[in-house]
Amino acid sequence: MKTQTSRIGLRKGSAIVIGLLLTLLSSPHCFGFQLDSTTNAVPVFIHEKCGRCHNASTQKGELDLSSLEGLRRGGESGEPLIAPTLEDSRLWQVVSHDEMPPEDEPELSEKEVNTLKEWIVANHSTMASSNGESPPESIHDVLPILLLRCASCHGAQRTDGDFDIRSHQSILEGGQSGPALIPTSPDQSLMIQRIENEQCPPTELLLKFFVKRPTETETDRLRDWITAGAPRGEIKEDVATRQPDSLVTDADREHWAFVAPKRPTSGDSVDALIHLSQKQAGVTFAPEADRDTLIRRVHFDLTGLPPTLDQSKRWRTEPSDKWYESMIDHVLASPHYGERWGRYWLDLAGYADSEGGISADPIRPVAWKYRDYVIRSFNQDKPYDVFLLEQIAGDELTDHANVDQLNEKQIDQLIATGFLRMGIDETGSRTMNFVPERLKVIDDAIKIVGSGLMGLTMECARCHSHKYDPIPQRDYYRLKAVFQGALDEHNWKSFKQRKLNYGTSEQRDSISLHNPTLEKELRGLQNEIKQQRDQLVTETLSVAFPNQTEHDRLATLAALRIADNQRTLPQRQLVEKLQQAEISETTRTASSAQQIAQRIEYLQDRIEDVQRSMAPPLTIRALWDQGEASPTYILRRGEHNLAGRLVGPGVPSALTDGKTPFVFDNPFPSGSPKTGRRLAFAQWLTSKQHPTTARVIVNRIWHHHFGRGLVNTLENFGRMGAKPIHPDLLDWLAVEFMDQGWSIKALHRNMMNSRTYKQSSVVSESAQRDDPDNRYYTRMPLRRLDAESLRDSLLLISGRLDLSRGGIPDPVRVSQEGEVSIKPNSNGQWRRSIYAQYRRTEIPSMLDTFDYPQMGPNCFERSVSVVSPQALLLLNNRQVHDLAEAFAREIENAAHQTDSLEKQNTKTTSDRDNQWSQLIDLAYQKSLCRWPTDQEKRLGIKTLEALTVEWNGDASKALKSYCHVLMNSASFLYID
Amino acid sequence: MAARYSVLAARKTLTKYRRTNGHFFIQLNMSLNTHRPNHESIHQPRAAASVASHVASQSRRDFFGSTSQGLLGISLAQLLGNELKSSEVLADDPTEKTTYNLEPKATHHAPKARNVIQLFMNGGPSQMDLFDPKPVLNRMDGKPYPGNVEDIGNQSTSDIGVMMGGQYPMHQHGRSGQWFADVLPHTSTMSDDLCMIHSMWTDHPNHDNALYKIHSGRLFMGHPTLGSWVVYGLGSENQNLPAYVVLSDPLGLPKNGTRNWTAGFLPPVYQGTPFRPTGSPILNLSRQYPQPNSVTKQSQSLLAQLDEIHRTERPHRGELEARIQSYQLASRMQLAASEALDIDRETEEVHKTYGIGKSPTDSFGRRCLLARRLVERGVRYVQIFLEEQPWDSHVDLASNHRAVCERTDQPVAGLLKDLKRSGLLDSTLVIWGGEFGRTPTSQRSGKIYTGRDHNMQAFTSWMAGGGVKGGFSYGKTDDFGHQVVENPVSVHDYHATILHLLGLHHQDLHFLRSGLEERLTGVSPPRVVHELIA
Repeated sequence: MKTQTSRIGLRKGSAIVIGLLLTLLSSPHCFGFQLDSTTNAVPVFIHEKCGRCHNASTQKGELDLSSLEGLRRGGESGEPLIAPTLEDSRLWQVVSHDEMPPEDEPELSEKEVNTLKEWIVANHSTMASSNGESPPESIHDVLPILLLRCASCHGAQRTDGDFDIRSHQSILEGGQSGPALIPTSPDQSLMIQRIENEQCPPTELLLKFFVKRPTETETDRLRDWITAGAPRGEIKEDVATRQPDSLVTDADREHWAFVAPKRPTSGDSVDALIHLSQKQAGVTFAPEADRDTLIRRVHFDLTGLPPTLDQSKRWRTEPSDKWYESMIDHVLASPHYGERWGRYWLDLAGYADSEGGISADPIRPVAWKYRDYVIRSFNQDKPYDVFLLEQIAGDELTDHANVDQLNEKQIDQLIATGFLRMGIDETGSRTMNFVPERLKVIDDAIKIVGSGLMGLTMECARCHSHKYDPIPQRDYYRLKAVFQGALDEHNWKSFKQRKLNYGTSEQRDSISLHNPTLEKELRGLQNEIKQQRDQLVTETLSVAFPNQTEHDRLATLAALRIADNQRTLPQRQLVEKLQQAEISETTRTASSAQQIAQRIEYLQDRIEDVQRSMAPPLTIRALWDQGEASPTYILRRGEHNLAGRLVGPGVPSALTDGKTPFVFDNPFPSGSPKTGRRLAFAQWLTSKQHPTTARVIVNRIWHHHFGRGLVNTLENFGRMGAKPIHPDLLDWLAVEFMDQGWSIKALHRNMMNSRTYKQSSVVSESAQRDDPDNRYYTRMPLRRLDAESLRDSLLLISGRLDLSRGGIPDPVRVSQEGEVSIKPNSNGQWRRSIYAQYRRTEIPSMLDTFDYPQMGPNCFERSVSVVSPQALLLLNNRQVHDLAEAFAREIENAAHQTDSLEKQNTKTTSDRDNQWSQLIDLAYQKSLCRWPTDQEKRLGIKTLEALTVEWNGDASKALKSYCHVLMNSASFLYID
Repeated sequence: MAARYSVLAARKTLTKYRRTNGHFFIQLNMSLNTHRPNHESIHQPRAAASVASHVASQSRRDFFGSTSQGLLGISLAQLLGNELKSSEVLADDPTEKTTYNLEPKATHHAPKARNVIQLFMNGGPSQMDLFDPKPVLNRMDGKPYPGNVEDIGNQSTSDIGVMMGGQYPMHQHGRSGQWFADVLPHTSTMSDDLCMIHSMWTDHPNHDNALYKIHSGRLFMGHPTLGSWVVYGLGSENQNLPAYVVLSDPLGLPKNGTRNWTAGFLPPVYQGTPFRPTGSPILNLSRQYPQPNSVTKQSQSLLAQLDEIHRTERPHRGELEARIQSYQLASRMQLAASEALDIDRETEEVHKTYGIGKSPTDSFGRRCLLARRLVERGVRYVQIFLEEQPWDSHVDLASNHRAVCERTDQPVAGLLKDLKRSGLLDSTLVIWGGEFGRTPTSQRSGKIYTGRDHNMQAFTSWMAGGGVKGGFSYGKTDDFGHQVVENPVSVHDYHATILHLLGLHHQDLHFLRSGLEERLTGVSPPRVVHELIA
């Protein structure tokens, strides 16, 4: 530790030098100042090349390079540009690492770079203060340290020794041991003594409360503050005021996405606007697709399922001119609509049934309630503004703690807040719940809100101002402050503390009526399965190693209960022996072991069945405001221990006029304390003047209908994002959407009832020539079924789809080979893929193969790959094969029904051909929603004949093989 | 979230052909006015080496097809023209979605290595017991740790024991005189081929996070692993086999399971494909149900005809052609994988070299031999794991480490010898190491102090072949082997160096995600450790 005097001395010294330099700099042309007689450094180019963005008036990154003072002060992070060494000097780092000047600005010449280097080397000793810190002036110079190092025991959750470090007053008051400090006397201050003799934080509590000791620099900072008299200071939170924002200019706000959408004058429908740009390009729509194609397209688009035979028949034969519009209405009303469109939202939210982050990947037992909430909301056509309001601030809509009985809607609003808790969260771990890990969880939530709802890559501004978009670093932290009332790294809720227990009286009655007996049964089953598992171990060992002693077998069981890395060598060897036994063919086929394995499987099934039949618990996985929030500081370079300026809640300035304060208040003035910050944010976000909220969602929905967004970068509407290809159309859709009460179903109608949507997907020669990228929508895209649609379709056409909805997710099984499969129900059926358990570490193999996303923390847009494992799966997988067989049986049955009047057992070739023909028709109807062409039918009959021969005359098997081919065909996998 | 070409990138992809090490590559050496070779920021929208190729861009694919066969007939202008064409569309707004594939891609500079075999030593092998002798530590055996125990670097301090000397005798080997513990009698014979890095360090003392870090450069799940980045960047030379193969232990998956070879946010086509040790090597590679071959043939013929009809009715749909090809590849893969996995085709002599056929080396030996057969066939990246984390010796380190050495030492040395004999070592980079090292102090477990805790501050890894210096030691730790005191190598440095050897520049290898260019090596610029390179 350096002595006080020497440091102060240095600071004074540097201040004098700077003062001198400033004098030299007083005239604008005088950049050619001399620092001393030996260095004739002239960083004029700094002004020329950097000053455009970093000058006294335009301080991008809050950096002013037009004055030496500005240079010394540094930017928003508070980090000085010139450090005691060249390598540590930020100015040199950004230039030598080519970070600056940015891409589209004139760069520094090699000579200039060298000059700069020499200049820094010659002058850093005088420019830089010894540690880059100014003397402490207020509590906010030390509060970040105290929060980080002490608040776990002396903060929001505990006040050990009756001591609370969170305010100036409480620090001065101290606790049971007396005042925490004596102003101006750090050596006599209890706080410093305890820190320095390592009484605080106590060694044994470091890991328990996830804190680390203050560093020497931090302790010095505390000392300096106490020496300075422990001033409270008058620091105001940096928030938006009525004064224009100096960091975001009006020119910045001219970016297309930051200007609120206006109803265009050029046209008043999707078709009118598309046609307008088509005319300019000299192209036009493709002809309308045929009816079968439209029926299939609409059903897949809206429900993720093919139409059933009855449905396609109905729409094919519907005589009305308005058949298409009625079909849209009808399909939109299907409960399967929410399962399809809810899934898209779950991707965006990063829905998962497990926490992720650590190997154990703990299950989130009631996350599914959020999934069902989303599906329900889409089915109800909940206005999008309400949908967002509930998910961002559902807890601030009702004073739930002060209401005797919440109704269903109010409960839903609490479930909705699960939206902000969907990301990867490792803070449940014994060792990974430190502040940096918590900040990462918060950052993920900000990312989802920023990119997913506003099209703004806010997370880029976590470490420094956004490089391309007008998002100063402080805007990130203002947004973080919005969430601070609920996501507070210094008042962190453990997994257990994130639960609320609310239910309607019916739910409660149902629980007390059904669950007690079932719980008892469950306990019995769980006990037995434990015993059986042990027994399987001993049995496996005795089959594989008949000579092993009983003692060793019991020792193996004991070793299994010890964590693998805590085992002694003999214990490891025993376990390894067991592992060998488990993979050996002898034990796997031994009947005794198989019996036990079957019993275990039965018990497992039974346990899952019992769990399923229980009334769901009242537990809600929610997020709610604590009524108080730790102060929010800008974190320099995003580092958790480098707190900078104090900021208050606020919204991205670029999306406002820059001179409107962010106003918020407790929505329940006479009820529970609430900060009201998120509620105010959600109201701002869902106001009709918001420039991006409506545009982002209509663009996403357009993307799902048309294969790509009007803005191709769904999550980035900033400068680095794509520009809208039809800006008027985007705006029309957005304004119309809001005017239609934020109704997503109305939006679907606007898009799907258009000629643009109804056109054929065939690429004509002229379209290929004049519109190769389909920029002008001269045809519909061809789309491959996504993972869920593919699996659900295979199940549906095979009669194996259980259409029941909601509730606890369907369990998955992991085979020894690592294949993850979804468990069927007791009827040998499966529910839709959206109901399969999404455990981050156990993604069902079939879905995974077809680009089912990893949530990290979410998925803004799925990628589409075309790879051979997909072919291998559809060709060789046993389950797909079994489904083909079931599909064939379905067709045979259908043929039997429709044809029971016709004569059976025909022998002539033409009769047999007729039978084949009928089966082929049905197969095409069911799987492809159309009739086969003559060519396809001829091929089919020929192949079925041949297959029958290969299957030794077994026509059923031939039909199965034929159906398997259809399931593999491009016609099945692609939607026109 | 598509990597894509910018006009700038396309201009920079101007190129010169050269022949080095018998491989063709495209050198990115044309500097235009805005090109700065040492560009280091992650946020620049520069796509010099954006590696996705458009399926639609047929001639581009032909070009790669040609280079991989060693034909040089294509004109530069044509290549450049194609690149520009795809970039023109994308310059203001990318309207076409990118399809990802495993076609061979151009490197950024001349590669030293073409393939990688990663021998992953899960659990954290002890540096001071195996490679990094510490006489001072040995002398202090049994004495208390002389500093503040919190500095040892683990979160819990309650079970820290006393200083623990090296557990095995150590000797110098080869002309280079590098140190090896006597429990590595085979690896030590390869001393003069090994490039030892004694100064590795990482950021987290937990297995989970340290594993994420060493594999993906990040402490958290969800990021692509080194192998994924490599195959994203380079594609594969053999389309009949997966580009990135994982050979995990038949006894069980390693700690962190399949996340050790995840593609994270990269398209799934770049994730590692585990080859199963028994039965069908890849899931679904062979039929899981009985069916006469003649039926399969009939079915395939019907499928091909139906798909051809479908495709003909839909002109200008490149993805349909790609799908048809993926079906053809699927059937070729079945043959190719079975052939590659058939180690019985190797001589008894070779089996012996790897320790196949005897306990306890058989299992690891088989995986090492398979790795050789796979890289020989153009598989880009092979990862070998042990089950769970056998190196993690909190208890009984001396016997636990000895046991793992007995399983792996001969196979590892056998692999190196075999690769060397066939000349493959020149173009194959072998990397050996774990996720962290171990502490100089013993650790209490119950009442005994016989193991070491995790040490994120220093560990030893080694490389061999693929353009690195043999018989070379890099970096130093303190007298206890506890902290790096000279030439530290971070995980990012390590990754950047491996990418460099493969002809990739860590800065140029990126993937656009949510408007951010994601890189294996993160934000702060890493250092390619040129000192390791021959």
